[in-house]
Amino acid sequence: MPVLIIALLIYARIKKVETYNTFVNGAKGAFELVLGIFPYIVTIMIMVALMRVSGITDILVRGFAPILNLLGIPTEVSELVLLRPFTGSGSYGILKSIFETYGADSYVSRCASVIMGTSETLFYVATVYFSQTSVKKLYYAIPLALVCNLFGTVVACLVCRIL
Amino acid sequence: MIASSVALLFTAPDLMVTEMTDASMGVIELCVELCAVYAVWLGVLEILDKTGLSAKLAKLLRPLIKFLFKTDDPETTKLIAVNMSSNMLGLGNAATPCGIKAMKRLDDKSGKINAAMIMLLVVNATSIQLLPTTTIGLRSQAGSMTPTDIIIPTLLATTLTAAFGIGLAKLCEKIFWRKKGAKK
Repeated sequence: MPVLIIALLIYARIKKVETYNTFVNGAKGAFELVLGIFPYIVTIMIMVALMRVSGITDILVRGFAPILNLLGIPTEVSELVLLRPFTGSGSYGILKSIFETYGADSYVSRCASVIMGTSETLFYVATVYFSQTSVKKLYYAIPLALVCNLFGTVVACLVCRIL
Repeated sequence: MIASSVALLFTAPDLMVTEMTDASMGVIELCVELCAVYAVWLGVLEILDKTGLSAKLAKLLRPLIKFLFKTDDPETTKLIAVNMSSNMLGLGNAATPCGIKAMKRLDDKSGKINAAMIMLLVVNATSIQLLPTTTIGLRSQAGSMTPTDIIIPTLLATTLTAAFGIGLAKLCEKIFWRKKGAKK
């Protein structure tokens, strides 16, 4: 990555772009952008926190684990799968604990690693992406993306089993 | 949210407000962090834009974007192109600002979602990953002998997922939007 950025800077020099001013100009937008998405993230995060503390997340995890098992997803990983759409840092925490419990090179850990790639902190992304638009209802967008993530999880487990 | 609040009332009512404030405190931290990260990436992206590289990238991906989003607006195409490529490199934080801007441009201000916006969400949710940097880092930290051996499975799995997602989104587009067209 550092190489890419340096390459870009050199390329910009060749193209005679004023790197300093341009960077400043771009960076200016950051504060506004974050300010714009802040209320939306707050709301979604409070919701996630409430679900976690109230134990609803645990109930969901326990309820869904057998179903996920049927799809070939190990029980250990199902917690990760179920929490992933809600929290990015949280799911990395779970990933870490999976690594520690099972060893980083075990099947379960590899499986979990690939799942991190195929899935996304969907609720967060959806909240942030749609926060600047006029859209009020998302129709089938969320279920659709969730189905895709579930599909990704199943594929991830399959791929890990084969490779 | 209501369900969790009610459940909390029975288990630990005193926790509720603390937990809500804690969560929003966490978001403040997150936002400060995001502000810093976005500043860096928006700066880099602005340079990328000024050098004409993102326009080149857009040109390269234009047929694909046109097929997926049915848009030919050069600015939108550019944003989506940068969004997709940063996602592939595992640079979620560079992808997000472009994604937000692209989403805004796809919005037709009618207050209703359209097929292209759903597609953008799906593409972002299922993005192909060439280099899962964070995961590789975590793996080597955890003492993995071969931290990078998940690259190929990840690539394979994400490619399949992306194809599945795009296919499904296109299918839904056909089903739902035809109905809407008929209603009109």
